[in-house]
Amino acid sequence: MHTSITRKLVNETHNVFVMLQGQVASSTGSNLQSQMVMSSKQYRAILKACSMDLMHMAETCEDEGERESFEDQIQIFEMIQLIWGFCQILFIEVTPDGLLLNQLLDWIKWHFTDGKRLAVDILHDEIPAEHPAYWEAIFRLLLQGEVDSVRKLLSLNTSNQNEAFLSVDELLRKMPQWAHYHHALSAAEFDMKWRHWRDECQRRLEEGHYVAFPNLETLVMVLCGDENVFAEMKDMCGSWYHLLVSKMLYQNPTVRAPDLHHYAEACMEEFTLSGTRMGELDNILLAAIQFDIHQVIKDSSAFLSTGSWWFVSHFTDLLHHCGQLDTQNLAYGSNLREFLLLEYASSLMSHKSLWQVGIDYLDYCSVFGRTYITQFINHMSLDNEKKAHKLLHICEERNMQEEVQTICKVMGMKSLRRGKLGAALSWFLRSRDVTATSKLTERLIMEYSKTGQFEYTDILDNLGPAMFLSNRLTFLVKYREFHKLYESGETNKAASLLLSLLEARLAPRTFWITLFKDATPLLESKEVIFNSGQTYVLMHCLEELRHELDAKTDISQKLTDMEKDKLDLLQLCLTRNLSKAIKAEGTVKTS
Amino acid sequence: MFSASKTFPTAHEDLIHDVKYDFHGKRMASCSSDHSVKIWDCDEEDQWNCTAAWKAHSGSVWRVTWCHPEFGQVIATCSFDRTAAIWEELLGEQSREGKQSHWVRRTSLVDSRTSVTDVKFAPRHLGLLLATCSADCVVRIYEAHDVMNLSQWSLQHEIQCGLSCSCLAWNPSMFRFHLPMIAVGSDDPSSTAGGKVHIYEYSDANRKWRKVEIISMVTDSVHDLAFAPNFGKPYHTLAVASKDLSLFSIKPIGNLGKEPVSGGAISKFDMHRIAEFTEHDSKVWRVSWNVFGTVLCSSGDDGCVRLWKANYMGSWKCIEVMRGNGKKSEQQLEPKTTVVTASNNQNIRSPPPGIMNIKRNSGWPSFSTNADKGKLYY
Repeated sequence: MHTSITRKLVNETHNVFVMLQGQVASSTGSNLQSQMVMSSKQYRAILKACSMDLMHMAETCEDEGERESFEDQIQIFEMIQLIWGFCQILFIEVTPDGLLLNQLLDWIKWHFTDGKRLAVDILHDEIPAEHPAYWEAIFRLLLQGEVDSVRKLLSLNTSNQNEAFLSVDELLRKMPQWAHYHHALSAAEFDMKWRHWRDECQRRLEEGHYVAFPNLETLVMVLCGDENVFAEMKDMCGSWYHLLVSKMLYQNPTVRAPDLHHYAEACMEEFTLSGTRMGELDNILLAAIQFDIHQVIKDSSAFLSTGSWWFVSHFTDLLHHCGQLDTQNLAYGSNLREFLLLEYASSLMSHKSLWQVGIDYLDYCSVFGRTYITQFINHMSLDNEKKAHKLLHICEERNMQEEVQTICKVMGMKSLRRGKLGAALSWFLRSRDVTATSKLTERLIMEYSKTGQFEYTDILDNLGPAMFLSNRLTFLVKYREFHKLYESGETNKAASLLLSLLEARLAPRTFWITLFKDATPLLESKEVIFNSGQTYVLMHCLEELRHELDAKTDISQKLTDMEKDKLDLLQLCLTRNLSKAIKAEGTVKTS
Repeated sequence: MFSASKTFPTAHEDLIHDVKYDFHGKRMASCSSDHSVKIWDCDEEDQWNCTAAWKAHSGSVWRVTWCHPEFGQVIATCSFDRTAAIWEELLGEQSREGKQSHWVRRTSLVDSRTSVTDVKFAPRHLGLLLATCSADCVVRIYEAHDVMNLSQWSLQHEIQCGLSCSCLAWNPSMFRFHLPMIAVGSDDPSSTAGGKVHIYEYSDANRKWRKVEIISMVTDSVHDLAFAPNFGKPYHTLAVASKDLSLFSIKPIGNLGKEPVSGGAISKFDMHRIAEFTEHDSKVWRVSWNVFGTVLCSSGDDGCVRLWKANYMGSWKCIEVMRGNGKKSEQQLEPKTTVVTASNNQNIRSPPPGIMNIKRNSGWPSFSTNADKGKLYY
């Protein structure tokens, strides 16, 4: 089902769906109803377009098997369109006066186009009246209520000047059609008019005006709504629902929806008697006539969902918003509409690009949508950065902070495994994972103390407030800053920064020796950089360090001789600096 | 619906006992009686390539399980040699997908006195926890305190089950008022020993795992257990694979699971069997759920893999049957609807090489991810 055409179907109906949900939220009353009708029509239009595309593909397709599957698909689409159109008339596009014959006629005309096609053929023929399908075309069109076309065809008949023909023409011309009158007359008045006309037809028939032309007689019998003639006409109808509509046209044009099913059963019987089996489609339509919406949905789910849940879920959603569905919660925790939408969205998840559409649908599932999204995102494979960012964006839009953290952690781990420490650092920061960040920073610090080189300087420089996430990280950034200041020659600033780093105890103890080593050039320089107060602080820190290292009883951690020497050297530097500083401070500057 | 099936030889020299997809469905781990574990990666053309293989234990490796990727690429294995082991993948900068990767043993858990039959990581929100169960009737729960250092695991709890254990399952429910829960199944052959599935719950107040339920309706030996992911339903669903496939609903009563169980009180449950499926007509070996908990996958001794789904009214039925290529099959349903079966065609004398079938469905029918294993051996 995931071909390019069905992808188009999914994407376009997704747009309609989202718009519909938006309108439901914002409009009410009759405005809403017209929106629903429009959405319904849009869905059907998209279906039709896809159907046409499929037909085109089936025609140009070479492979037999593929063509078969296209044709199956087309058939399913046809059925869906049929059902949707019918249900739209019954449940969605409900007219205020309840009369629906016009809509039904439109529906029939839309789906049964044989009559029109025959008519076009005949019109192009040289001698229309001799065409073998001449009368068939007329009857088909008549049964669909295409009165004007029937008149036109009759006028092409060789005997069209005959009185019988003229009489029929007159009858047809005078036939009251609701479409013309419904603005002006009420249903009752129209009904009266129509009965008057039908009596006229009957009268003329009984008076034998048409005896000479059996076909015309049949025609007028149809106009009179004669029961028996419809039994003969059923082949022209092709299916019981067509027969139903045609019968209603000529027997009861002011029929209302709830009364349809009385007539439906009779029509169905006509067809079953002649041996046609009732298929699932027929059962669905019958259920619809009986206003048993749940049965419609149930049968559609069973029958039309083997390919996808597309139809049932969108359809149920529309019905739900029209208020036609029972909204009570089922045992699993939510209502039917949500169940079907969840199914549809889940089925989209396995597609490599349609999953985003699926997530959008889940947004509109009020009870379980969010958990489904969370679960799905957790399981989504983070193949590359782009996808990870997409997922993060989705999570942030929906305020799913935990998932953001998880995704960042996973990406961080991935980067770490690949040895890309810089990328890992930025991912861990984003996930606000203190432990991982600290561990990673320690690794970076260790690397520095071994190599004396900073990598990932650009990341460290641009961290901004994120550096405060972990103590270690703050230290690393500040330390880097110290190096920068030193290199750019701003020794005073560098010195005070170094001092504050030591004072704040941000650095790990193991690193202090390195820090002191860094301080040495500053101490040894000719000018006094560290004043006496600062030098005292430095000496205090050195003492602390020495004290701590001495106090360690573990032999492996005791200072090596070399390290002891270093510390002594440092002590010497500090003392020298102290003397310099005191001298400088005590000197009176001569201007 | 279920169209192409992919089969590829694994070059395992003996029966394959377990195969598991990782969290995202792009990698797979298989373990076998030939003492080894193999890791498979799926590339862009949907080809599975073996990127690592190593001898993991000194006995048949029974089960393998993946850890959540936020802890890295980590698997755990358990074996007949009485140990369970944790392995982590190392990738340097030069290594790329498709090339061989290197897995190192982080730790061995050697507390068991008999064959360790199952090993499972806990749901991520409980931290880095691992549970093992062995034939010496004990379930052991280990914890790694430092998630960056996987070599330090400490034994936190030992649960005496009283019956030789064959499988265990964690309850993945993330609902914060559901206490951590484990189901343990037993393959004790005696039918007088009582129910073969025990449910344990962790009480924070007492810091102990306590038995809260025994499913006495299951009296045959249990081969696999799986909890369905729970999204806010008021009850847990547990699938049990034994002589037949059964589904149980376990509902905490009293607080309806909406408030924390007070103090040291033992939770009470209302449990009943939702469904029993006999379509396999033989022993059911493995069960697995999809990510949303809507589809259950089972495999049985009849060599078939079946998918089960409930309609909106809650009644379950089989929606699909797939046939492996041999009598025994082990299956796993991965995220995004692909089922893996590892089947071991058992000829009369020689143990055959293990072969893996991957059946891919077209994706539309209503289910997405599922990690589910059905395994048959003997």
